[in-house]
Parts: sequence; C-alpha cells; structure tokens
Amino acid sequence: MSQPSLTLPTPGQRAGRNRRLLEILGAAAIAGTFIYLVLTQPADITGGLGSVSALVALGGFLLGAVLLIVGVLPTLPTSTVVLIPVALVLNIVLGQLMGTSGLPFYLDAIGTVLIAVLAGPAAGAATGALSSIVWSFINPTVLPFAAGAALIGFLAGTAARYGLFRRFYLAPVAGFVTGIVAGVVSAPIAAFVFGGTSGAGTGAIVSAFRAMGDTLLAAITKQALISDPMDKAIVFTIAALLVYALPRRTTFQFPFVRRYNVLAGKEPAKRNA
Amino acid sequence: MAPRLNPLTTLTAAAAVLVITTAASSWAVSLTVAGGAALLAGVTGTARRVLLAAGVILAPFWLSLLLMHGLFFPEGRTVLASWGPARITAEGLGFAVDMGLRTSAFVLVLLLFSFSVRVPELVAALAVLRLPPQFGYVLASTLMLAPIIAARLEKVRQAQESRGLVVGKGIGNRLGAARLQMVPLVLGLVHDAGIRAQALDARGFRRTGPRTTYTQVRDSRAQRGFRILAVLLAVAAVAVRIAASLPGGGQA
Repeated sequence: MSQPSLTLPTPGQRAGRNRRLLEILGAAAIAGTFIYLVLTQPADITGGLGSVSALVALGGFLLGAVLLIVGVLPTLPTSTVVLIPVALVLNIVLGQLMGTSGLPFYLDAIGTVLIAVLAGPAAGAATGALSSIVWSFINPTVLPFAAGAALIGFLAGTAARYGLFRRFYLAPVAGFVTGIVAGVVSAPIAAFVFGGTSGAGTGAIVSAFRAMGDTLLAAITKQALISDPMDKAIVFTIAALLVYALPRRTTFQFPFVRRYNVLAGKEPAKRNA
Repeated sequence: MAPRLNPLTTLTAAAAVLVITTAASSWAVSLTVAGGAALLAGVTGTARRVLLAAGVILAPFWLSLLLMHGLFFPEGRTVLASWGPARITAEGLGFAVDMGLRTSAFVLVLLLFSFSVRVPELVAALAVLRLPPQFGYVLASTLMLAPIIAARLEKVRQAQESRGLVVGKGIGNRLGAARLQMVPLVLGLVHDAGIRAQALDARGFRRTGPRTTYTQVRDSRAQRGFRILAVLLAVAAVAVRIAASLPGGGQA
C-alpha cells in the first residue's frame, strides 16, 4: 500500500502514456516474433543451425520481455515491487522442494502465479520476465524463455481478474489453458535456440515424436502440450492454496484483490494498511 | 582485471560475443568461444565455479541432444547404423554437436559474466542507463534473498520436525509435509515484504528523476568506445547473416 506522498511529485500523464506504449510494444514484439517463427519454420532447422531463426527468437522475445519490464515496473506499487524478489526466490526454492517430493514436474512458476493473483496481469508478466532474467545469472539457459514466463504471469493475472480463483476447481482449469498457450510459445525457443530440450524425460518424448517423422518444432510442441498443461494446472492449484492460506488481512492489502474481488469470501471489516 | 572494468562493458562484450556466435553458426566458432570463455574464467579465477555450474547445466543437455538427434533424425540420409526405428545418422550427430557446442558457448559466456560481475556495481551502472530503479532493486534483492530464504526454509522444516513432522512414503503424506513447510514460509515472507515496502516508501523509493548512488562505477572513454564497437560488430554480424540467407529462395 503506497499512499501518494505529499512531498514527491507524482508522475504526469505523459509518463503514463509512454509506459503504456512500452507495454504494447513489448507485447507486439513477442507476438510478432512468435508469428514469424511459426511461419518460417520449415526446412530451416534441418538444413542448418537455423541461425536467423535463433537470432530472431532470442532478439524478439528478449526485447519484448525487457520492454514489458521497463514499462510495467515503475507503475507497480512498492508493496508489489518488494514481493517480486520473494516470488523469484520462491520460484526456485519451491521448485526444489517439489523436486524432493519425487513428483515428475518442474513447478518453477509458483511465485509468478502467486504475484499475478495478488497484484494483477501486468505485475505477473513483469515478474515472469524478471524471473527468467535474474535466474539466468545462475542458469543461462532459462534466459530465452523470458517471454513464455511473462505470458504465464499475464494469463494467471487475467484469470484472477475474471474470478477464476474464486472457485477452487476453476484454478486448475485456468492453469491447464495457460499451460497450452505457454507450451506452444516456448516450443520455438527450445527448437531454434537449443535444438532440443534438456532432461531425459522430455527428451524421450520428443524422440518418440521424431521417430514418427515429425519436424523438430512439431515434436517439441507436442511434447510441451503433454507436459506443460498438467504442470501449470498443479502450479495454479498450489498458488491458489497458498493465497487462501494467507490471512485475509494480508491478501486484502492488495488493491487488485480488492477491486476485482479476486478471492472468495468477504473483505475483513477493519483494513490494516 | 575484471572488477576494474565497467559492468556494462563486460555485459556488452558478452552479449556481442553471443550474437556473433549465433550468427556465425559454425561449430568451430562455437568451440573457440566456449574454449575462450573457459580460459578467461581461468585467468579471472572463477574457473572452478563457472565450470561446475556449466557442467550441471550442460551434462543433461548434451545427453538429451545426443540421444534425441543421434538416434532419431528423420531428415538424415547417411545412415551409420540402425536397429528398429532408431537410426544413427551422420547428419543427426552433426546437428547435435552443432547445437550442443553453440549452447555450451552460450552458457559459458553468460556464466563467466554473472560470476565475475559485482552486483552492486551492475545495479549502479544500470541506474546510469536510466532503467527503472525498481529493476536494480529486484535484481540485487533476489540475489541476496536467495540464501536467506533457503536458510529460512530449513528453519521452518526443523521447527515442524520438532513438532512431529515425519515425511513418509505416500504421495499424500509428502504433499502434506510440503504444505506444512510452504505455508509458514510464504506467510512469513509476504509479511516481511509488507514491512519492507513501508520502509522503502518512507524513503522515497518511488520517486522519479535522478538518484545518487554510493557506488562509484569506473568508466573510461576507451570502454565507451569499445562498447559502441562491440554493438556495431554484433549488428554487422546479424546483417551479414540475414543478407546471406536472403537469396536462398526465401529461406529464413
């Protein structure tokens, strides 16, 4: 919660319009890159390294992610900005915790979805993109997937806005749909930048589709459609459980939660700012 | 040597090298870049950490690539061996090696950058670039929070174990144990974040305009010149690659 301060100037309308422009440009860069990659994919990858596709995928998706971050970050209230680092670490730590539970999913977006539910689609998109950029300091291979992570945050926030987190059985459905979209968008990155997926399980699935004669992009897309929706359904469920486990007093501090009535139940009588 | 350079210079150099490597798309260039990065890591004294981290990332990736493309590459013509649906083709192996080397160069160069850069200096340098200050905050805060949160999770686990938490074999039991650790962890973190937000707001975190920083980042005309040169080289490499692909019948 940040009350407008008495001593500091509030940013003017023009700054707001510029940021909106950055957001739109960022989204356009991501969408344009994806369309280009899908239209030009044939022949390219098997003929050579697919160098131009790799450059376009890296450049377009990263540019879009950075524009989104620069456009969205200054508009967020401080209470959301300080939550972003927490969400990024949760992405990593909770991912590892689930890893020790022996379940075959990666679950590396719990923090992103949590922020999206509490603070909205823009905050979710910025968190997803930032997550990939900061994580790439430890594991550079996640860097090109920044656009996909931003999309997951955006879709989670949109789902929350339209009340899909008000009923517990709708959250996994929203996650499933998000997983389909995110998988389809991320597949060209895996295909053109890395030429495959990391990890034995996903690699085996891709190999199976390749053995049936699919192109690399088709095989990786099908693999993503098998693993991602399930994974995101679980992530959305966990995020919903976490949000409802938080005390009302905390969740209703977020303006997004109050304005769009994101969560089931009533606002606490006395707000503690 | 490395800490004396402006972080923006090393960042630009790393990005330019990656763009040129991708544009060149030849295994020889990738191998040279990967080897060069490993060598530079040795010179700057980060070799052990860089190679260890790179190994953890790249080993499964190489394995997956070799299995995937080595055994199943429908476009391959030169069959070296085959049994059942699996065929080892020269083209498949070549593709796997090409992609593997390119990714190795990508990972090594970026890890060399992230392990040799000093985060406070990078944040100060980014502020000079007029990126939103929130970006620097998130970057620095995450890298510092990670060990703190990991330690906190450990504490939560110990507390729950002292209250009788035993992780059993069944999936339900494991999920219950995960829930018992996650909920207190997230609750505490969100609460802390709220307190931090009020403290930051009280100190004018959201104000726009120029800011002062306690960290002085070195910069020089030579470094500025080098950065422009690196960007120009990268752009030229991309332009050459796109020009080369154009007459090939619309092949992108």
